[in-house]
Amino acid sequence: MIKIENVTKSYKSSTVALRDANVEIAKGEFVFLVGASGSGKSTFIRLLNKEETPDAGRIFVAGKDIGQLSNWKVPFLRRNIGCVFQDFKLLPSKTVFENVAFALEVIGRPRSVIDAQVPAILDLVGLAHKSANFPNELSGGEQQRVSVARAFVNRPLILLADEPTGNLDPATSVGIMRLLDRINKTGTTVVMATHDRGIVDTMRRRVIELDRGSIVRDQSRGVYE
Amino acid sequence: MKAEYYVRETASNLGRNITITLASVMTVAVSLALVGASLMLRSGVENATRRWQGGIEFVIFMQRDPSPEQLQSLREDLEQSPEVASVRFVDKKEAYEEFKVLFADSPELIDSIEPETLPPSFRVEPVNKEVDAVEALGTTYGAKSGVDRVVFASKTIRLIQQLSSRLTVGIFVIAAFLLGAAGLLILNTIRMAMFARRREIEVMKLVGATNWFIRVPFMLEGLVQGLIGAFLAIAALAAFKPFFQKWLPNSRDIPLVSGFQVSSGEMFFIFGTLGVVGILIGAIGAGIAVSRFLDV
Repeated sequence: MIKIENVTKSYKSSTVALRDANVEIAKGEFVFLVGASGSGKSTFIRLLNKEETPDAGRIFVAGKDIGQLSNWKVPFLRRNIGCVFQDFKLLPSKTVFENVAFALEVIGRPRSVIDAQVPAILDLVGLAHKSANFPNELSGGEQQRVSVARAFVNRPLILLADEPTGNLDPATSVGIMRLLDRINKTGTTVVMATHDRGIVDTMRRRVIELDRGSIVRDQSRGVYE
Repeated sequence: MKAEYYVRETASNLGRNITITLASVMTVAVSLALVGASLMLRSGVENATRRWQGGIEFVIFMQRDPSPEQLQSLREDLEQSPEVASVRFVDKKEAYEEFKVLFADSPELIDSIEPETLPPSFRVEPVNKEVDAVEALGTTYGAKSGVDRVVFASKTIRLIQQLSSRLTVGIFVIAAFLLGAAGLLILNTIRMAMFARRREIEVMKLVGATNWFIRVPFMLEGLVQGLIGAFLAIAALAAFKPFFQKWLPNSRDIPLVSGFQVSSGEMFFIFGTLGVVGILIGAIGAGIAVSRFLDV
């Protein structure tokens, strides 16, 4: 599903964010990216949906070399990739329903599809009863569920999560992880960057550890360190 | 679905920065109104001095029914004269058509005139355009057989033509600056709208909205501002037009061919020009804003 070949990425000012990385992730895998801040986890994720382009190397997503992708095709790549962030990125002026519907609306899905899929996904994340609320009326965990719902409503092949539990307390985090696990069980490939030792150690999934841009460990059924 | 989305987003963008939107709309309107007014003035002067366009310095009016021989001999005379740069014969029919244009505002006058009653004429452009030389040359034709009289372009007409062309240039320069300012204002309103919508834009990119889908509401915002500005300018000029003829001197004050007239065809052309320029300004402002500040 994802293949990274000899990828290097550095930013103008700072040091190398990713150095000669080689990773292959199969369809339906659940992968944790661990490592200290600045070790290159976010760069890894941003390279996958072409928010960044590598300096060297090739990246394949769903069998396509995304380096060869022309600019106007990037949106169509992103329709296959859901994204969840630490800061949720919900639109404060829209209700829960509208936030999720927005993701379908702006890729041109008809109203009938939106009216069918949005309640279904809100039901899946357990927020059907809050669909008319605004984000600031929800707890952090609930907001992150909305964000997951928005990322998954279009049934993407891949779900990228950049520290999705970074702003949540441990109990709430467990709920989010159950949700991601459930999504993974539908066959969606999940790549999650995290600092959360407890989560990684209990889930026992594949762990890729980054240290100053280099992959120092790639372990199936791994632990945090 | 898409159209509904575009309309909703564009309307909300325009409403969000209503004061600066109004500022750019008004700037477009004022500059286009200036352009339109100077185009009207130019048309008016051109029409009022139509007989004297293109270097024509005097007109030889024949008697009402000159014999073909008289016409032929005068024509040969003019065409062979080394002092005549060009000559154009206006027959009764053409004179009548011109008369109809010139007196479009007094249909009762047109009704009272038959093509037969208008004399044919020769319009002459002399080589030497000094006043004395023109008069000397013109007068020699006054005595030819079949000629009724010779009419010279008056100094007033030359002065009006000159004034109008200089005024037109001046107004166009001012209008060009104002249009530039309008374009920049539009660019800035759109930039502000983008800033206000940066979260939406971020999410749209994330979930895979196409670049054009993200751009269109902002492009439309610029177009609508230009279009509303043009519409206001057109409305103002249409309201102003009845006064246009009253304010300017009429043919009794100055020996012109007729009063200052702008036909409805010309008004239509002027309005069309303003509409196109308004849309262009909006599109250019929006285009720059979208390509420079919308990082998609």
